[in-house]
Amino acid sequence: MQSANIAAGAVVCVESEIRGDVTIGPRTVVHPKARIIAEAGPIIIGEGNLIEEQALIINSYPENIMPDTEGVEPKTMTIGINNVFEVGCVSQALKIGDNNVIESKADLGKNVILTSGCIVGACCQVNTCEVIPENTVIYGSNCMRRVQTERPQPQTLQLDFLMKILPNYHHMKKTVKGTSTPVRN
Amino acid sequence: MASLLQPDRVLYLVHGEKKIRSPLSTLYFCRYCSELRSLECVSHEVDSHYCPSCLENMPSAEAKLKKNRCANCFDCPCCMHTLSTRATNIPAPLPDDPSKTTMKKAYYLACGFCRWTSRDVGMADKSVASGGWQEPDNPHTQRINKLIEYYQQLAQREKLERDRKKLARRRPYMPLAFSEKYGLGTRLQRQRPGAPITSLAGLSLKEGEDQKEINIEPAQALDEVEPLPEDCYTRPINLPEVTSLRQRLLQPDFQPAGASQLHPKHKHLLIKRSLRCRKCEHNLSKPEFNPTSIKFKIQLVAECQVLLTLTNPVENITHVTLVGCEEGDPEDINSTAKVMVPTKELVLAGKDAAADYDELAEPQDFQDDPDVVAFRKSNKIGFFIKVVPQREEDGDVTVSFKIRHDFRNLAAPIRPSEEGDAPTEAIWLTHHVELSLGPIIA
Repeated sequence: MQSANIAAGAVVCVESEIRGDVTIGPRTVVHPKARIIAEAGPIIIGEGNLIEEQALIINSYPENIMPDTEGVEPKTMTIGINNVFEVGCVSQALKIGDNNVIESKADLGKNVILTSGCIVGACCQVNTCEVIPENTVIYGSNCMRRVQTERPQPQTLQLDFLMKILPNYHHMKKTVKGTSTPVRN
Repeated sequence: MASLLQPDRVLYLVHGEKKIRSPLSTLYFCRYCSELRSLECVSHEVDSHYCPSCLENMPSAEAKLKKNRCANCFDCPCCMHTLSTRATNIPAPLPDDPSKTTMKKAYYLACGFCRWTSRDVGMADKSVASGGWQEPDNPHTQRINKLIEYYQQLAQREKLERDRKKLARRRPYMPLAFSEKYGLGTRLQRQRPGAPITSLAGLSLKEGEDQKEINIEPAQALDEVEPLPEDCYTRPINLPEVTSLRQRLLQPDFQPAGASQLHPKHKHLLIKRSLRCRKCEHNLSKPEFNPTSIKFKIQLVAECQVLLTLTNPVENITHVTLVGCEEGDPEDINSTAKVMVPTKELVLAGKDAAADYDELAEPQDFQDDPDVVAFRKSNKIGFFIKVVPQREEDGDVTVSFKIRHDFRNLAAPIRPSEEGDAPTEAIWLTHHVELSLGPIIA
């Protein structure tokens, strides 16, 4: 299996599970026990993302297609910058823009496309086949929606803090440039 | 324990105005009447008001003035969650030198659940953390106040006429001023089921004061109504902007149709209630005054007084007899199986909190018939019953029987007895119990 391409400046803990062709941009933090699985195609993750524990980002095969079927083109999953994947969320969306927040235990289906500034609330399951417009908030047990006027702020403070503290307590995966110690601010 | 995990399995019958069957954990036991009471045969009274988010107590008079709303806390108009105050730093010009800017704190309200902020409706950020937020005024307030005053006067006038008629017919044994002052609080006034609501009269002017004649103008009917906009049918709907019915009705003053006019309202207060037995007027449940305390000053829950399914909650030895329901018992409507209960009397030891720790205690010597008693442990007993399901089809098997046990009323008032100190007498209580045993497996 190809190893992950982790850019310099990203903080990826060893206890996280990264399988397949995964590219992780700089200033991204991947917590331990996060899982990024590229089964049916590569995953490209931008910079400044925060992927918390037990989050699952999976590029899986569509349901009715077996892995051995020929003629299936691998689709790339793209994730933009400054996104937050909170604890325990599951994301199979193939295209995620910038500045989104996917709260704890949220579930994104394969056919959803998130634009920018969206917030998918805790425990909300979104498995419709649509493009979620910008600045949408999905909340509540019935997945009610509303549009907010401000987009969520990028978690720069949190990212800086984690990039300093996590290496003190966990081992990090090697980055592309070959250095085993991550770049400190 | 059936009372905690499967509360609906064992139901007790309460003899009140209505026959109610409910689990023991929801029942109260009036020890003055020696009867079970359910929530429907007690009267509920308001004890105190408090805000659920800031846990601040509010005296009843103040609560009435503020329409039962908290002064500090707000509800999100979008999802009805509690709003929290957030601060940002904004550059603001110094009052002395307009060219230099300094960071000042600005506060805005935000909802953690649906991410609504006060900036969404155009409310400016305030410079104080609390107390700066005002609810928008209702444009019809003046008219409504005037109408209320007029009708209060009318109600008082009608009440006076009614009382005068009553005075002419018979002499009341309670002076008029007394009844007006105490209003609906006294027993006599409360137990009149057909009495009209006289709460308005309670707020009106007292007798003897100068009564201003208040005239109101009747509402004017308009012929012309504002026409609908021309593109009403063709304009595409901006769905996030449309308010839901619930959001609209929570603001009955304005009922805005657009989400950009949803202003936050003050949070509604909750009450602590006390329960009172209707027959003997004693309190069954009285909560603490402090909103942060969940304890009770008086709490006569049935579980502490009445026998549970064969666990003895009281500290004396209790004798229990089980009697099956006879044919044609009017209370026996739900049972689908016949039950044969042991005919002998069962003896339950008292609850002794120290028994677990006392190793030298002698084991209590109850001679138990092994056919009847399965096991015995401190104040619990397990016994056998035989169940014969009556119906063939799949359904729940429910049996009912009566438990008869002795009860010592520890709270009985001390009567001066002539014989010296006689022990408290035991009274025998009978409860009708229904036990749901579960479905029949073929």
